[in-house]
Formats: sequence, C-alpha cells, structure tokens
Amino acid sequence: MNVIEASGLGKRYGGTWAVRECALAIPAGHVAALVGPNGAGKTTLLNLAVGLAAPTAGIVTVLGGCSAGSPAALDGIAFVAQNTPLYKNLSAADMVHLTRNLNRRFDQGYAQDRLGELGIPLNRKAGHLSGGQQAQLALTLALARRPRLLVLDEPMAMLDPLARHDFMATVMTAVADDGVSVLLSSHVLAELERVADYLILMSAGRVQVAGEVDDLLACHRVLTGPAAEAGEYAERSCVVHARSGGALAHLLVRTSGPTDPVPPGWDAHPVSLEELSLAYLRAPGAAALPGPARIRNAERAEVAK
Amino acid sequence: MTTLTVPTQPEQDHALRPVPWRRMGWVTWRQHRPTLISLPALLGAVAVFLWIAGLRVHHDYAALAACRPFSSSACQALNTSFSRTDWTMGNTIHIVLQLAPALIGAFAGAPLLARELETGTFRHAWTQGFGRERWAIAKLVLLAVAITAAAEAFSQVFTWFFQPFIGQQSLTVLSAGVFDTRGIDFAAWTLAAFTIGALAGMVIRRILPAMAVTLGAYLSLDLLTWLVLRPHYPLARVTSNPRLFSGQGSASSPWLLSTWWTGPGGRPANQAVVSRVLNLFPHNGPPTVNETPAQAFAQHGITQWWRYIPVSRFWPMQFIESGWLFALSVLLASATVWLVRRRAS
Amino acid sequence: MAGPTSPIEFRLDPASGVPTYLQLVHQIEHALRLGYLKPGDQLPKVRDAVASLAINPNTVLKAYRELETKGLASGRPGQGTFITATLNQVALPELAGLRRLLLSWLTAADAAGLDDDGIVALVTSSLRDFRDNSGGSGAAGTTKKGVA
Repeated sequence: MNVIEASGLGKRYGGTWAVRECALAIPAGHVAALVGPNGAGKTTLLNLAVGLAAPTAGIVTVLGGCSAGSPAALDGIAFVAQNTPLYKNLSAADMVHLTRNLNRRFDQGYAQDRLGELGIPLNRKAGHLSGGQQAQLALTLALARRPRLLVLDEPMAMLDPLARHDFMATVMTAVADDGVSVLLSSHVLAELERVADYLILMSAGRVQVAGEVDDLLACHRVLTGPAAEAGEYAERSCVVHARSGGALAHLLVRTSGPTDPVPPGWDAHPVSLEELSLAYLRAPGAAALPGPARIRNAERAEVAK
Repeated sequence: MTTLTVPTQPEQDHALRPVPWRRMGWVTWRQHRPTLISLPALLGAVAVFLWIAGLRVHHDYAALAACRPFSSSACQALNTSFSRTDWTMGNTIHIVLQLAPALIGAFAGAPLLARELETGTFRHAWTQGFGRERWAIAKLVLLAVAITAAAEAFSQVFTWFFQPFIGQQSLTVLSAGVFDTRGIDFAAWTLAAFTIGALAGMVIRRILPAMAVTLGAYLSLDLLTWLVLRPHYPLARVTSNPRLFSGQGSASSPWLLSTWWTGPGGRPANQAVVSRVLNLFPHNGPPTVNETPAQAFAQHGITQWWRYIPVSRFWPMQFIESGWLFALSVLLASATVWLVRRRAS
Repeated sequence: MAGPTSPIEFRLDPASGVPTYLQLVHQIEHALRLGYLKPGDQLPKVRDAVASLAINPNTVLKAYRELETKGLASGRPGQGTFITATLNQVALPELAGLRRLLLSWLTAADAAGLDDDGIVALVTSSLRDFRDNSGGSGAAGTTKKGVA
C-alpha cells in the first residue's frame, strides 16, 4: 500500500506553480523526509496530501487509493501544520476534548499519559505553553487519533535542540509501537537524517529524488580521479554533480548498484545522505525517481499532449 | 532495508460512519463560549433595563392617556414631559437598536471563520475526521440558532417597551425603524447580519476588515430595503377615498407609498390645475379656502389616488421581509460552506 | 529510559559519519569485547532505544539483524533480542600480557619519532598486510564488514 501516491500533480497559485508535474509513490511503513530549500513547494505538497488544498492538475491519493481530503483520508491521516496552530485561548485539556470530539477514534488515555509524562499542565491555555510544549501538545493530539499516516510540516523549525529530540522521540516511539507511517518536511536535512528511511527531495516545485534512503545511498557514489578523464567519464555514466580542480575531480555518480565497476585510476567513496542531497539540489536538472512513478508521469505528459 | 510491518486495516473506506453531528455541540459551545455567553448576557442586561424603564414609560403613558380633557394645560404639560423625558430615551434606544444586528454580525459572524484563517487554526480543524464542510455547517447552524433566538427574545421585550410611543409620536408599526424591531423582523435581520459576517470572514480571511465589510454591507442592505424594496412588497392597495389620508397621523394610519391624480374619465390630470389646487393648501399654515382638498379637486373633475399599505398588513409584511432575509441567510451560509469546501489554503 | 533488563545503553555520535545502525552494532561489539555484555543478556528493546535516541525503529532493527547475521544475537518473539555469543575470546590475564607487549612496542615507536597518527597508520597497514597474508581469521573480520 502506498500512503501517498501522486501523478502529474500540480498546484498553481495565481500564475506561479508551487508544485508541478509531481509523481510520487511513498510506500507504507516508512518515515519519509520531504526535504528542499524554502519555497520548494513542500508545504503545498503536504497541503495537497492532507486535503487542505485542491490540485490544479493531476491527482493525489492517500492510504492506498482514498482521494485526499475524503472522509476516509481525514480519518486515517493526522496532520500537524507548520508552527503547530492551536486554539491559543483553549486549555490543553480543552484541546484534547475538542480533538476527541472531532474524530471517530481518539485514545484519551494515551493523550493524558503523554501530556502527564511531558509535564504539560492540562489547565494551562495552549497560548501560554512554551514552543516545545505546544509542538508536543499538537503531536500528542495527532497521535492520539491513532492515524495510519502522520504528516508533519516543518515540525521542528521553532524548537530548541532538546525539544527537537523529545519531539522526534515521541514520533519514533509511535512508529515503533503502532507502525504509523510518517511524512515530515524540513529544509534542514541534517535534522531528519537519523529518522528518515525514505527521502523525497524537492526543488522549485518538482520532486527531484524519491526513494528509500538505503537504495539511494547504495546506487550513488563519489568517484575521485584525474580531472583530465572526468569529461570522458561523464559521457559514459550518470554524473549528478561534478567538482573539478586543475588535476583532481570529484564526481557524484548514479550507478546501477554497489557492484558497478570503478574505472581504473579512480577511487570510489560511499556517499552520505547530505552530500547526495546537496548534489541534486545543485543540479536541478538531475532526477532520481523510482521507475513506475516516472513512467506514470510520462504517460500523463502524453495524455496532456 | 525491510520495514516495519504495518498492521492491516480491515476497515473499508466506504463503511466509515461519520463522526456524529452532536459532537459539534460541545466544540461550538467551547470555542464560541465568549460569544454565546456575552451576547445573551448583554441583550439580557439591556432587556432588564428596558423592563424597568418600560414600567415607568407605561405608567407615564397611562397617566397621559387618562388625562381629560386633552387640551387642558395639565394634560399638555404631561404630554410635553412625556415627549421630553420618556421619548428622548425611547428614541435613543430605538435608534441604537437599528445598529444592533450589524454589530452582532460584525462581532459574532465575521470572526467565526476569519479567526481560524487568520491564526492558521483551520489547518487543525479542517484535517480532523469530522470533515470541514460538516464542521462549518454545524458551527453556522448552531450559532445562527442561538443568536437568532436571543435576538427574537430581545425584540419581544423591546416591542413591549416601545408600544406607548407608537401613536403618541405619530408612528405606526409600519414606520421605518419600528417595523424592523418588531415581530420576527429583528431576528431575521440579525440572522442575515450573522451570515453576512460569516461569509465576509471566509472571503476576506482577516477579522478586522471582515468586521468593517460586514457593517458596511449590512447598512447598505438595510438602507436598500427601507428605501427601495419595502414599498414594493406586493401588499399595496389603491384608493381614492380621501378619509383615509385626512386628519392627524395615528397608530392606525396606513403607510402612504405614492399619490397621483386623474382627470375626468380617468385620463391623466392636468398638472397645472393640480398644482394650482395644491397651492391652496400650503404645508405650513391654514388652508386658504374653506373646503377639503378632495372637494377642491372635485370641482375640477380631478380625483386623487393613493397607493398605501394598511397597518393591518403588518404580519404579511413581516413574513415577506423575514422570508427573503431568511432565504438570503441560507444562501450566504451555503456560499460560506461552499467556500470552506473548495478554499485552497 | 533504556529497558531495565538491558545492561547497556546506546549513544550516538552525530559527527562520526558512521551510519547510525553501524554505530549501534559497533557499540554492542565493543561491549561484548570488554565484557559488559555476556550471552543471555538482553539488548535494549527497540522501543526504548528509539525513545531515548529519537531514531527510526528500522535502524535499531537493522542493527539487530546485522548482529543476528553475525551470530552474536538472536531475537525471541515477544521478548526482545538477546546476546547469544561472545567476542571476548581472549581471557583477561592474556589481555594484560598483550597490553604489556604493546606498551613496550609503543615506547620503541615513540623513541623512533613516530607521532600518534603515524603509529595508528603503521598499525592499521600492518594489520591489513597481516590479514591479507593469512587470509583473515577470527573475530577481527567483523569490524569492517557491512560498510556499504
């Protein structure tokens, strides 16, 4: 089952495409990181997925085929928006009660235990809680719904390092306990590197890279060798990004797997997730998408013609 | 990497039972507690004041009505005192009350959705299992019912308070400003103002501008109704019987919409003649001839006609106005819900 | 926050550049070598490790699977993962003797003018030559295996 599937997805605000020609298929059971620079369209993509925004083009389905925003989708997806909007004048207890009233499923015991563990006073107004507590409250409300997919938009932007750790620990515990799938966005890859096992890289409204982190790392490597041969090598294989000095060149290449032969005279190094992301973000034309999604995207393009 | 197995969800999507409507009762109550408490409290406080003041007004009016003979200086003094004290207060309240629905619309209606949109909390509310259209419908209906009921109860108290001034001040139940504070009209206007506010808030997405637009839109609609629409309700009658329109204005005087003249045989009257006859009866001062206008016109073979609505048509008038206001409110509320459904964030 | 039944707790070095799951594997191997973990000991429960480190549960599972592949641990359904073997094949007295020998060699290296980095480089390359020549044996092979 794919928790989110999109094809030909586009969203235009005025004359600007915030998201365009987006093809995605995120399998269930992953903690997926949606990474990209500010303004890349991450929030728009998440809004499309949770049904807050309607697509201008293409389709997006969630939880194995429900259309985004449908009753079944709303029931199974919990969303914590950027800056965790809460009703500032309601107490934590009221927020719990309100969210419970708005959902078919709500684990009241979980919510109360969590807030107790976190030391969040139930009678304090949400607006008077610290940023970290507000984020934790919003997260607790989301998790108490026992969602199948948890969507978090820039969840840690406003948090200090300790609060970030605690926040992510709560999310990861829920993943371990319930097997909830997670999709979370950030413009800082480093803060998601430890938690994400699926990466979606976005820039300028397009999905550039999507895939399991292990697969992505396995099929990319950095080759270091004589700059004179770099051009020749680039013709024969898929170079994502090249940096070249007078004598020495570093090529980040996409291979068919770790067993790909290394050309003589060159050194191969494994690539880190951050290095890989930066390379793609610097090369907006490059893309590494899973086969089926690309094919579907191409089909849509055909239809559009 | 193998991933954690996801527990299979046997629930079928189409078998989902929606979250019951009644759950929105608590949500609406809790979120709009300030409005739901302060509005009835404010109206209640004013109603208590009207009741206390009304006892005095009714007492004074009873004394005035019982005073005989009316032309005696004692009675005239009573009348002057009633006009100076009781009517000054009654008139002030009655003018302020014209604005009440607008204020209710601006303070209760406009922030309803604008606050969610302005603070971003709609992202929480609209992604819950309840569903945003149902959420909007439930809130609009519950608040509209509560506010309309409070307004109706209040207008009943005001109607009792204001009763003595009708007649004493040459007003009728059809007078502008009286008609729309009585019966079911006040509640209908309040409902309309609330839905205007809700839609303005949804469209403008900011509280203060939405409140300003609500006030403006309400007052325009009020003025339009008073000046243009109300005279065209299909209840008007036409008569040439001059007795209806002679004499002092009283509580039973009909609402005169227009007048015109016809010459002999029903042909249009000669305007020069009409003007000449009218000049015999100046507005300020005694008539220059010893006959009624009707007699003066009759000498030239001219008949005066009047188009009017009798006060007995009060309730049909009320139903017509409240009816279209209610229909308008439903339309505005539907538009609001439609916008909630399709609004892209 | 670690399970009360496990004798160890994980820590992560964000700057090391070593994949998280490998850091966990290395820590367990290290604990085994130094005798902090013995066969029968329980490893931290996935949930507890996840809660204290804020990492993806799949990462912990992957580390435990790696240990199972190496024959160092095995999972018991519903209970957790337990140590089944040891890396500490050298008895403590022997270890002390080897340590004395190494110290005297280090004194010689120091006297010859080698700095710390030079010593490490020399040891590493000698160890590699030694393994290459002898075809590799024993537990030392486990440390580098698994790097993608």
